[in-house]
Amino acid sequence: MTSRRRFFFQASGGFLGSALGGLWAQDREAMFPRGVHLAEPKVRSVIYLFMCGGVSQIDTFDPKDRRWEGKLIDAIGFGDNQASMVRPVIPCHRTFTRYGQSGIPVSDWFPHIGSVIDDIAVVRSMFCIESNHIPAAIESATGHRGRLLDNPSLGGWVNYALGSANHNLPTFVNIGRATSPVQLTGGYLGAEYAATPFRSGSTPIANLNSAAAIRPADQERRLDTLAKLNQGFRDQYETESALTGRLRAYELAARMQLSAPEAVDFSGEPDHVKSLYGIGEKDTDDFGKQLLLARRLAERGVRFIQICHGGGGNGQWDSHGDMQGHAPLCRQTDKPIAGLIRDLKQRGMLDSTLVVWTSDFGRTPWSQNTTGRDHNPKGFTSWLAGGGIKGGTVHGSTDDVGYRAVEHPHYIADLQATILHQLGLDAERMVVDINGRPVRLVKRFADPIAAILK
Amino acid sequence: MKLCRCLIVLFAAVVGSVISKAAPSPATVDALWALDPLPDVQLGSGNAVDSVLEPELRARGIEAAPPADRLTFLRRVSFDLIGLPPTIEEQEAFVSDTSADAYEKVIDRLLSSEQHGVRYARRWLDVLRYADVDDRMPAASSIHLWRDWMIRALNRNLPYDAFVRTQISGYESSKREEVSATGFRRRLSPRPDSQFALGFLARGASTRSNDDHALAISAAETVSSAFLGMTLHCAKCHDHMYDPILQKDYYSMKALFDPLVVREVPLATAEQIIEYGDALRVANAKRDALEQEFTALAKPYFERLFDERVAMLPAEIQAVIRKPEALRTAEEVKIADDYFPIVRIDSGPIGDAMPPEIRRRYEDLRRQRDAIRLPESLPSFLTVEEDSQRLQQVSYVLGTGEPDRPDKGQPVEPGFLFQPAGTLFREGRRETFVDWLTAPDNALFARVAVNRVWQWHFGKGLHATANDFGSLTGTPKLRAVLDRLAADFVTNGFDMKWLHKTIVMSQAYQRVSIPKPEQLSADPNNDFYGRFPLQRLEAEAIHDSIVMLAGRLDLELYGPSFGSSRELPATVRRAAYMKRGFHPQRQELPAFLDTFDAQDGRDSCPRREETVTAPQALWLMNNTMVNQAAEAFGKRLNQLGQDDLSQRIRVGYRLALGREPGENEMALALDYMKPHPDDSAKLAWMLFNLDEFIYIR
Repeated sequence: MTSRRRFFFQASGGFLGSALGGLWAQDREAMFPRGVHLAEPKVRSVIYLFMCGGVSQIDTFDPKDRRWEGKLIDAIGFGDNQASMVRPVIPCHRTFTRYGQSGIPVSDWFPHIGSVIDDIAVVRSMFCIESNHIPAAIESATGHRGRLLDNPSLGGWVNYALGSANHNLPTFVNIGRATSPVQLTGGYLGAEYAATPFRSGSTPIANLNSAAAIRPADQERRLDTLAKLNQGFRDQYETESALTGRLRAYELAARMQLSAPEAVDFSGEPDHVKSLYGIGEKDTDDFGKQLLLARRLAERGVRFIQICHGGGGNGQWDSHGDMQGHAPLCRQTDKPIAGLIRDLKQRGMLDSTLVVWTSDFGRTPWSQNTTGRDHNPKGFTSWLAGGGIKGGTVHGSTDDVGYRAVEHPHYIADLQATILHQLGLDAERMVVDINGRPVRLVKRFADPIAAILK
Repeated sequence: MKLCRCLIVLFAAVVGSVISKAAPSPATVDALWALDPLPDVQLGSGNAVDSVLEPELRARGIEAAPPADRLTFLRRVSFDLIGLPPTIEEQEAFVSDTSADAYEKVIDRLLSSEQHGVRYARRWLDVLRYADVDDRMPAASSIHLWRDWMIRALNRNLPYDAFVRTQISGYESSKREEVSATGFRRRLSPRPDSQFALGFLARGASTRSNDDHALAISAAETVSSAFLGMTLHCAKCHDHMYDPILQKDYYSMKALFDPLVVREVPLATAEQIIEYGDALRVANAKRDALEQEFTALAKPYFERLFDERVAMLPAEIQAVIRKPEALRTAEEVKIADDYFPIVRIDSGPIGDAMPPEIRRRYEDLRRQRDAIRLPESLPSFLTVEEDSQRLQQVSYVLGTGEPDRPDKGQPVEPGFLFQPAGTLFREGRRETFVDWLTAPDNALFARVAVNRVWQWHFGKGLHATANDFGSLTGTPKLRAVLDRLAADFVTNGFDMKWLHKTIVMSQAYQRVSIPKPEQLSADPNNDFYGRFPLQRLEAEAIHDSIVMLAGRLDLELYGPSFGSSRELPATVRRAAYMKRGFHPQRQELPAFLDTFDAQDGRDSCPRREETVTAPQALWLMNNTMVNQAAEAFGKRLNQLGQDDLSQRIRVGYRLALGREPGENEMALALDYMKPHPDDSAKLAWMLFNLDEFIYIR
């Protein structure tokens, strides 16, 4: 039996695959056979915004008729308890305004996003299966349920399929705290395809610099000496591709020491751009900086930039007690997200960047006798903007109370297929052949959401 | 984080999707070479490896490399057998030993070192999916006792058959019963410390709801991969596509373990238990008193909120909830339980309903209650035992591998792969299985073990896939070597140290590793071991070397695993004791281990993938732990080399690479150190970052 790696060296026709492919998925051919790639990718980068904890669709992008409020409906128990019961629909305290030419209603929690709604396609009929945070975050990241399998995350597959468009930065980056480390994993594809956590500050990547500052000249001298001292060993084992890989790994590490701090250095950004993201304002400063960093990384060719908002524990968006819990989170994200879309647009980057906004799942029309809402995997809203997306579109719907996706229901795999499609990848054919067995990222029969594509 | 990819991927393919390819028909049992009987061998006819390998090399015209020099061999065999580099004293002793058995003495010294057990336990634990942490793993708190049992077992050279038997059945010996003088048969008690070996089975248990199959599934899959070299996983959902394994076989094998449940064994003395009971009683009495007080205080507010909530429910539900619990029917109890989350009232809303001064008092009492610490729980170990009720239950095929979908149309009997006709499970399910498994005539059992041990010494197996001897994996080119070693292994009573010694005493193991052009053309993949394969060190050995060179390594044995964060814990113990595992919300594998390809133990890992990445370079260049170790190593070099810079360089090379620096290397290092001759940390940094530092040549 050939090993997985060997299969790929053969498939890609070179024996250096292992070492050279592994540098952070760098300096190499894409790992898939050609057929997976569609003729023309629509976008170069994806900025994937994941709101940790479960955003209420009813209070944001999926307004419902008030006449159901207070009426008893068939409901289910909370969390893992799926017992059927009867519960009243709780009132929604939001007001909705129709924005833009499309007139898509957006709640008063997201006025800035409302102002760019003509660039956004809202999918109101998403569903998933897992009804608790961690499993749902894993399901939406990997496309599979369950913890036993070490499935790679979507960003990992993109990394694997497309490789880097920048030779000095990682291909798949995560910003912010995720609900589960599985959202960052390269899974069975390997650690080299995992997300690199990026943060602002002088050390954007772990171990990028040593604690004691070293002068560039000294760094150059020691790396030069290191290379010379390594030479004898490398000459003796010149057929060992791993040693060639190590040489390249040290070179890349050195390049990254220069390029990563440059990516997080905002000093060259004009004030009007920073203010678009709400940088300098109390509520929006943190998230605004993260999104500006996302734009800068996209600009530098990073392919998949995942940003987790409100991560830790069950996620801050988990408003069981009171829907007012959403209010500060909406304030933190509304202006920066709209700013990101505007900034991408004014730079001519929106056509080559896909912005995706999604969450663990949605929230129920009823509550546990509070003014908050429970987990609802059966119907929720995600939205997309950017390259190849029909802005100003609403697609699909939930039932009268906002519980079940009824019209054009889309399992989250369809969202994944859409993202891959825009990157020029055919999800149906993204099958890794391992020892004669096909393994696929996206569930079978997943299709891009054609109605929102140009 | 990665698992062992080949295996998990096979598994993923099955669960992930329906297989679209046309299925090849499965091979029959006859097609599996690994089941053939082992050849008869005459003991004492030279080294078991060389006597078969040398003719193979000659026949193919492959030139065998000469033996490596002594220092190269010593570093190679030290890392291999104990996972640590040789000290300068050990190097000197070996180089100056002119006796005929100098090699044998070194090998015997290493094999009798306690660190040998640490090294090889860590290798076995990768295969047997050890983890300190896993999602809802009840055995987590005491699982290290299994690891420690294994270290002791390897150090006292427990034969391989007993090593496996103890972990599956809890009995070291195959004699489990005896007949008394009066003709009564009775079960013998196992050795008390053997229960810790059952951590192997307990590790697979899960407290997830609906998942009481987890233990048996994990046991069936791990046992077949690890000891039979058969990937049973595929048959979880359908008949195996190319190996003679039916879906029914999977569940028969699982049925061997279906009756098992985990059981907590207290490890405290009688006095400790009594003391603990007393302390618990005292603490609970204090807590109860406070609880009564704040409950009374909250009563009117609680009742008002409760009534409000209940009033919002449909009338028939209200009636159920207002009924005293004793009068509810079973259906009504279910309804009340379902609505419990709705009518449950937490302290927050109760506090909100109180006037401020009462609320302060209420919250103060609650805080006082919470401040009363319960005594720390007593040490215990989670073992497994057969549950008499579960022993009576019929096992079924699980439709799609889902625990809650037993296919009642497909009951299965306990059984195992390649089960001989007429097997009776008279002495018990696991017992009967393990007797067959570990029998001297089970050629597969010996072959799989020998191949695994070979792989650990050479970095690659005689058979390429250590967990899979199935029909698609081919017959090894050097089957004769594997067969001969396996036969000798059985004849030597499954003596593991004999096996290690035979392999590392062979010419094949002692050869130079630098390939010559003729060797590369005659045998590019080194299939015939004409040279020793260059190997990268595992994460643990890299860590231990760095800490050892810093002069800090603590070689203490045993104990709970340490560290629980992503960052490398500030520790000086061997990395074998670092906590590892999987948690869906936290990264449990320390970043250093993860970066250098260690496994999280979610599945059996026959062989770690080796990646070459920029984060690895960043770790060794910049990480604080590494830089601090470089400082400490630098101080040692200053001490050992005194004022002589070239002596410091020489000592550094000896300690880090186990050899003298070459002329050119000395010149380069002297030149590099010239501007800062006393800053030996810079020299130490250089040594840590050399390719050769993380390779065995």
